[in-house]
Amino acid sequence: MSPETLQKKFLRGLTEQFPDILGKLQEHVPGQLIAVLPREELPKVTKYAVNQLGARFVITVATDQRDKTGDFGISYILAFDEEKQFLVLHSNLPADDPRIESVTPEVPAANWAEREAYDMVGIVPEGHPDPRRLVLPDDFPAGIHPLRKEYQYNTRFPSEPQNAPPRMPPPEGSTVVPIGPFYPTLEEPAYFRLFLDGERVVGSDYRGFYNHRAVEKLGDSELNYNQVPFVAQQICGICGQVHSCAYVEAVERACEIEVPMRAKYIRTILLELERIHSHLLWVGLAGHIIAFDTVLMQLWRIREPVMWLMERVTGNRKHYSSNLVGGVRFDITPEAADDIRRVLAKVEEEFKAVVDAVLIDTSLMARLKDVGILTEENARALGAVGPTARGSNVAIDCRVDHPYAAYDQLDVQKQVQDGCDCWARTLVRLYEVFESIRLVRKALDQMPGGPIMAKIDGPLPADRIALCSVEAARGESHHYVRTGEDNRPYRWRLRAPTYPNLQAVGCMIQGVNLADVPICIGSYDPCFSCTERVETLDVNTNEIRVYTREELQELSRRKTLG
Amino acid sequence: MIADLCKKMLGKSLWLFHTNCGACNGCDIEVIDVLTPYYDVERFGMKLVGSPRHADALVVTGSVSRQVAPALRRLYEATPDPKVVIAVGTCAVGGNIWFDTYNILGGADKVVPVTVYIPGCPPRPEAIIYGAALALGMVPKKVKPQHEQHVPRGFDLDAYIAKWQDTPVVAR
Repeated sequence: MSPETLQKKFLRGLTEQFPDILGKLQEHVPGQLIAVLPREELPKVTKYAVNQLGARFVITVATDQRDKTGDFGISYILAFDEEKQFLVLHSNLPADDPRIESVTPEVPAANWAEREAYDMVGIVPEGHPDPRRLVLPDDFPAGIHPLRKEYQYNTRFPSEPQNAPPRMPPPEGSTVVPIGPFYPTLEEPAYFRLFLDGERVVGSDYRGFYNHRAVEKLGDSELNYNQVPFVAQQICGICGQVHSCAYVEAVERACEIEVPMRAKYIRTILLELERIHSHLLWVGLAGHIIAFDTVLMQLWRIREPVMWLMERVTGNRKHYSSNLVGGVRFDITPEAADDIRRVLAKVEEEFKAVVDAVLIDTSLMARLKDVGILTEENARALGAVGPTARGSNVAIDCRVDHPYAAYDQLDVQKQVQDGCDCWARTLVRLYEVFESIRLVRKALDQMPGGPIMAKIDGPLPADRIALCSVEAARGESHHYVRTGEDNRPYRWRLRAPTYPNLQAVGCMIQGVNLADVPICIGSYDPCFSCTERVETLDVNTNEIRVYTREELQELSRRKTLG
Repeated sequence: MIADLCKKMLGKSLWLFHTNCGACNGCDIEVIDVLTPYYDVERFGMKLVGSPRHADALVVTGSVSRQVAPALRRLYEATPDPKVVIAVGTCAVGGNIWFDTYNILGGADKVVPVTVYIPGCPPRPEAIIYGAALALGMVPKKVKPQHEQHVPRGFDLDAYIAKWQDTPVVAR
């Protein structure tokens, strides 16, 4: 362990409470510590680190390592953002008894992560308050955990419809409003059940993961290091570059590959251009949700030249296919750099005009201010990331906290607002567009010459672990890679930013009006655009009323018009 | 025939219902892109509607996961006849790289009959407009359907040929 790490505050706090942990800590990658603990101790350390030392819970990684050591592994990943440090707490669980005490009662951010560990690998979180099925489809056979190594990625499992997870019972006297499962442009089709008292939301239930495509299983079993980035970029059509970048950086850190500086700058430029088009897209959609279609049309008009630019620079409007382990596949030529500067100048000028209009627009403010409150404490407790967190005065931004690519040389300014409402989240995104334009210009000016691909000899070393967090437009995308033999990853775990943010939605929509629910769900940027239908069931009279999406939107729009 | 019927019934104004059945959002933002000022598909009378009961066409993106398949089937049944189904993107056309994973059925045509396939990852906005126009019969087809003989995996081609050669000439 390096002397700087030993000086860090969190480590002193941790060793005061758990003196023997110091001998177990290993610094496998600079800024990342790993400790192998007995399974009784792991939940205690996790709870203490999160609740007493201010750690942010990131994700759990469950691994089927029976072919290597004969047991299961589970890792809890924590981040100390101020001290630029990741901490991996690992525990090995016997193959015939894979149980671990759940930390969810005291660390609510771990809720989904522990449920997913059960679904995918079969590690039982004991004492979990809500141990329902999370990821697997309703008709998936019980007792089959597809990330275990004995299952092939292409096994067709039989249909057992009786396995649908039970629905959460509504509070007494409330009305149930199911929404979904089709919100066509949401990150994934999702099914919300809102519990209403009159028009006020008093609770909610969520069933998602309609979009589960077995990405991790493909990465663990079928693909080699240089095939994974092309699968990783297809995880998300908006922030694909983020996922492929996070994956290759994690492999590079694990295997200590020195990436040429020019390649790092090219990654940075593409990431920032992606953020620009994603934020422009979101602000437009937010306008659409609250019936301000001028914003949608103007913002998407401003955005379109960015898409053309990306096609000019990378060859495709989306899915840039630029990253490989060790570098990037193509250069940014001087002509392309001139194009980028020209397009950015135009985007900046036009966007500034729109922002000036948006900032003084009373109807937008009336719909966004004091709506969808996510307090700072709740944002921290639920592990919200990205603009959702920064709009609630939680100053986390991986570009500064856990720098990757060339961000350590660009002096990124965090955009933080303390409004805690939809308006604050909008402001964060508006200002981030200008910040991104500045970063791209600075990166183009500073970009050194030289090669864009590192020379890699022979297969990459096995059994090393590294993490990488990349700040997507929506928040932190986190990738964990454990390397394996034969030039393939042994375990590849990813967590998209919507994963923690979705868990915060229940808290955000508590107490708002039904008409404000679309903008609340939209405000953490899941690209909400259309709800298929809304069905309300009055529990007192058993009368069913079906709202179409138009009626729901009409409700939302009537509110704008007063 | 369906093109003729569609041309007659829907030719002036096609209303689309857009469903994401396990897509990555890349195709979805391109579908919205064709509605915005640069492409402005509403000049052809096409627009997105919020209910399948108002729609003439289903725009399906994504490789269709197990969880979403029954919902897609119900959407198709809820859309009034005559209707067309437009599969947008390589995922909806054939399942893309996840076509055979455990949770994916591999394309929209595994669940609903598809009228027009628009490949691309994601398809360009121009391609989406062209595909919609093709569904309506507004533009001529540039390719003809080709029926290639598919040999299923595990199929014994030699035994099949031997059996075929043994059959009397008259019966052939």
